[in-house]
Amino acid sequence: MVNPVFAAPISVIDDRQNTVTLQQPAQRIISLAPSTTELVYSAGAGNKLVAAVSFSNYPEAAKNLPLVGSYNQFDLERVLAYQPDLVISWYSGNQPEAIEQLEKLGIAVYRTETRYLEQLPETLIKIGQLAGTETAAQQEATRFKQTLQHLKDSYSTKAKVRVFYQVWNQPLITINQENLISQVIEVCGGDNVFAELDSIAPRIDVEAVLKADPDAIVASGMDEQRPEWLSDWKAWPSLKAVQDQQLHFVPPDHIQRQTARVLLGAERLCQQLDRTRRINVESQQGDDQS
Amino acid sequence: MTLSAVSHQQKRNLLCLLLLVLACIGSLILALTSGSIEISLPDLWLVITTDQTSLQSTVVNELRLPRALSALIVGAQLALAGCLMQVLLRNPLADPYVLGVSGGAAVGALFSIMMGLGSFAMSANAFIGAMVNLLLVFGLAHSQGSWSPTRLLLTGVVTAAGWGAVISFMLSISQDHQLTGMVFWLMGDLSRAQLPGQHSLVFLICLLLSWALARPLNLMLRGEMQAKALGVSVYPLQIGLYLLASLLTASAVTQAGSIGFLGLVVPHILRLSLGTDHRLLLPASALAGGCLLLLADTLARTLIAPQQLPVGVITAFLGVPVFLWVLQKSNRGLV
Repeated sequence: MVNPVFAAPISVIDDRQNTVTLQQPAQRIISLAPSTTELVYSAGAGNKLVAAVSFSNYPEAAKNLPLVGSYNQFDLERVLAYQPDLVISWYSGNQPEAIEQLEKLGIAVYRTETRYLEQLPETLIKIGQLAGTETAAQQEATRFKQTLQHLKDSYSTKAKVRVFYQVWNQPLITINQENLISQVIEVCGGDNVFAELDSIAPRIDVEAVLKADPDAIVASGMDEQRPEWLSDWKAWPSLKAVQDQQLHFVPPDHIQRQTARVLLGAERLCQQLDRTRRINVESQQGDDQS
Repeated sequence: MTLSAVSHQQKRNLLCLLLLVLACIGSLILALTSGSIEISLPDLWLVITTDQTSLQSTVVNELRLPRALSALIVGAQLALAGCLMQVLLRNPLADPYVLGVSGGAAVGALFSIMMGLGSFAMSANAFIGAMVNLLLVFGLAHSQGSWSPTRLLLTGVVTAAGWGAVISFMLSISQDHQLTGMVFWLMGDLSRAQLPGQHSLVFLICLLLSWALARPLNLMLRGEMQAKALGVSVYPLQIGLYLLASLLTASAVTQAGSIGFLGLVVPHILRLSLGTDHRLLLPASALAGGCLLLLADTLARTLIAPQQLPVGVITAFLGVPVFLWVLQKSNRGLV
């Protein structure tokens, strides 16, 4: 074992291109988002977490962590009281002022911001480097890359399936191509019908969905339960997705969180869309014969 | 005033109302023929005249018509309530929400969203919230027996501030996915509108009742003392106005959330351009309010389609320049 005093400082560049430097591997980590908690566990550094924020519910062990608040409103003093040597923050979720305050107080902060699926394994490795668990992180990163590549090879080149992803019903909200979920749809050989809209989570109306007439409608809702409002589309029997019964549910934690579990959601979605694809092919063959 | 002058005045009033009715019909046709799915005028005629079920007929009957009628009724209710509130409080800044009706309704609606209740429970709770506010403000303003519009205004404004604090608290402890729904409710949103069956009944009854009060309302403009001297029983009239305006606002807010601005500006525009005779002003406000909200809502859902804008943004964009222009041109008094 190398004496930490003589170890070289660790330096990585975070997702926002800031350099994070530690004199020795982090021993006391605080995670400021449910997704970053998962990332720290995936990087093999779960036992170094001293506190997290509410809704850090995965893996099971994370539920026992003491809380410092929620990701958008946490108690700065309580964070300090845990004397962390590394804080993992979520750039677009945490309040930037609070994060800057932490840095001013001399705490090292790693900002996560996942724009591409391919970024996730890199983030895992960097967190592993900072926490001194690089080997475990490398393994997990390799597993992630392999699974992702396998899904891409199996599905992304197949016949396109036109997908409408419904984030919420009241107001009716979907996603554009910048959203990570849209990339998962692409991996599965799907085509997000609202990919081209300007905003990352655009609000649309029912008519726009009727006009787009997608092959499949996918929704996540708010918990492990299939949202009741997904069945509301049955009021529109003219929709192809309704005629073919292609209303799919993916648990939100498996697709909306930017963590390694996104592969679970991707796997499930790919299988669902493949079913839709087979129906498309069958009905096309039917058309050709008639 | 000579006989011919009276009939001239009446003719002008009728013409104004007729024009406003035509504007409403025009906006309705525009609303029914605009949207993501193309439906032209001949298509619309087919949908209305035949019973065939097609995508176009379902879009018109299930989506556009309920929303358009709802916009007409809500706009009319807000403008009428604003008009009554301005006379009651003798204050040009009064709008339907000034006495906290929308705040009470918002707390009810936000509570339902937090609890994950359905849209029926949401409307019911919003209405209950509005009624709680109505009784609370009335009771408090009334308690010492020294009722006055100023006292009512202060009680209402402070109660509204109280609701505002409760709303902020609810927003700050809610989860993300609920937050979006809450913010849209607070900004006002017609996308969940149903056919306004019982609400149109509320509106019609309130319109008739307030129209019956038009003469005493005209006298009230001369001040409370003069009105009393001319035989108006001021106190019951004020209570009646308060109840009518609150009921109209409660019904509007229950359907579409708190759509701002309309109830403040529409009565002013009409007062500046048509004068202060409430026999004309009340129905004209209702028609113009309905027409403006319907136009604004049609623009809100089509301007950057398929993306949707909050309707309040458009009402303000349309209403502010019109109001300022009328104000610049006019030399009439405001209330």
